Amino acid sequence: MSTTAYATPIDDQISWREAAHTHLLPAHLVAFLQGGVTATLGARSASGRPIIGAGVACRVRDMTEVRVLLSQTANAALIEAVMNGSAVAATFSRARDHRSIQLKAARASIRDTAHDDQCEAARQTALLADELMELGYTRSQADAYAFCGTTDLVSLELRPERVFTQTPGPGAGAELPR
Amino acid sequence: MTAPDLRALRGAMEGISASTLCTCDVDGVPNASMISQVHWVDDAHVALSYQFFNKTRANLLATKQATVQLFDPWTLAIYRFDLDYVETRTSGPLFETMKAKLAGIASHHGLEKVFRLLGADIFRVVRIEEVVPPSAAPSCRGVSFLSAARSCIEDLARCRDFDELADAALDGMVGHLGVGNAMLLMAECDGRLFALGSRGYAVSGIGAEILPGEGVIGVAAREGVPIRIGHFSADYRYGAALGAAARSAGLLAEAPAGVPFPGLGTPHSQIAVPVMAEGRVLGVLFAESAETLHFDHEFEDALVLVATQLGALMALLRDEETDEAPITEADTADAGGTVTVRHYPRDDSVFLGHDYLIKGVAGAILWRLLREHAATGRTDFTTRELRLDRSLKLPDHAENLDARLVLLRRRLEERCACLQLEKTGRGRFRLVSRCRIELEDAGQGEASAVA
Repeated sequence: MSTTAYATPIDDQISWREAAHTHLLPAHLVAFLQGGVTATLGARSASGRPIIGAGVACRVRDMTEVRVLLSQTANAALIEAVMNGSAVAATFSRARDHRSIQLKAARASIRDTAHDDQCEAARQTALLADELMELGYTRSQADAYAFCGTTDLVSLELRPERVFTQTPGPGAGAELPR
Repeated sequence: MTAPDLRALRGAMEGISASTLCTCDVDGVPNASMISQVHWVDDAHVALSYQFFNKTRANLLATKQATVQLFDPWTLAIYRFDLDYVETRTSGPLFETMKAKLAGIASHHGLEKVFRLLGADIFRVVRIEEVVPPSAAPSCRGVSFLSAARSCIEDLARCRDFDELADAALDGMVGHLGVGNAMLLMAECDGRLFALGSRGYAVSGIGAEILPGEGVIGVAAREGVPIRIGHFSADYRYGAALGAAARSAGLLAEAPAGVPFPGLGTPHSQIAVPVMAEGRVLGVLFAESAETLHFDHEFEDALVLVATQLGALMALLRDEETDEAPITEADTADAGGTVTVRHYPRDDSVFLGHDYLIKGVAGAILWRLLREHAATGRTDFTTRELRLDRSLKLPDHAENLDARLVLLRRRLEERCACLQLEKTGRGRFRLVSRCRIELEDAGQGEASAVA
């Protein structure tokens, strides 16, 4: 079992306050998003129902735009909802300490992947799978949970308008003001 | 899209992997989060753990809709359920089942002080999506639980009395269901339970007591529902509460006399299944393991089948009792020595010399037999006369009488006491003393001698 101390919402608030007050996303958040974390996506369907999706990896462009790479076939309903103009939520969570951050935007776009996205997705899913194995998952469980080897990727791209700490504990769900 | 049966997806609801959840607010803004527990309720419903009043909770109350994604670690499949909110339960069997499971999950993740169940949110599953189909066969356990349950039930059907039933249930758990540590406990009318037998422990623990609501055993008995946890949780430990409760009630200045609970020090998996008949909890079948996540839904199903059959047979035996009381010569064997038997009316505890033997109804029964023996020299008795003896304050449904006689006899056997109870037929038994016995009622300070 891991002996790493678990994260708390207070940690997120402190590191957020320490970041420069610019339109750029703080460097520590960018590092977190690109470091092999799980990505849970949310949207709303045309009929008004919540839709859940799962990202495979995340890349941040110009320290402002968050690109979540996701399987097209496994997220067809979510992709359709986003293309229809749904607001988007994306929660990123690190397996080893439960640190979790939620980004929200009123809209997002779906684009083709860049030429090196597949390699980066492979790197991030491998990191996540290794971490899960340290927590007791078997190799096949970890690879499946981390979506290792997913090839039909598209890119869901958003500019975060609001950021929340979702790390479990007192203060969970608090907005990190920008 | 396929539409798998919800029951077949229970592997994804064992709480092994975190599930994810999405809700929307009234303006259509989604909220994505992790959820500690998606609990299988029945073919059409699941329950989610409500632990905090947060955005998810606000959205659920406002829009009554959610969607969850689950991972089955056995088949590696991924599913999504669309859910419609039905109600929230804050007490009762389902709530207690989820509370126990959550305590184990919280402990496993180092979040004991963070996770606390406020409610069980029940949802109707309106749609199931198989996102990633199963790619692995469910792990081979080496035991087919349906077949194992059948063997257990066949063994139970061969039993002729309560004693044999208790042994067959425990032996079946070990021999057929592959349990390493098993226990059968019977319920007192005040909600306490006492261990009647066990397998797999260094000491049998016969006579050990569990307080109402203590650990998974106490909760299972109180709620009449199986309780199963897959990780060690300090909230569901045994033993410590007993002494503390007695001391706080001002009963004792020191730890109370009793038989220590024989359970594992750090059980990582525990399951307690109520033994029921006619809507009442007669006792609990308990199993534990040092391995995490050792007992799954399928094992629980099997143990419930065994417990149900055990309860029905216990009730049946009670109804078939004989009432003849054979008269035989008193056993006057006197191997020498004198033992003082002390009785404390406060809790009907009985001591042989200075050693604690038993308490509660079983203690009252022994005291009654000894007094009658002292007065009349009688040694042969029937369960029927005990059942009709109002001084024993037996509950109306007295299959527990059989359990108490078995408990009493096993305690005496274990102690190799100079006193023994011997079965002489169905519903009949004999008090055998191999030494001179003096009775001392500690409550009234009087002593009398028995030949």
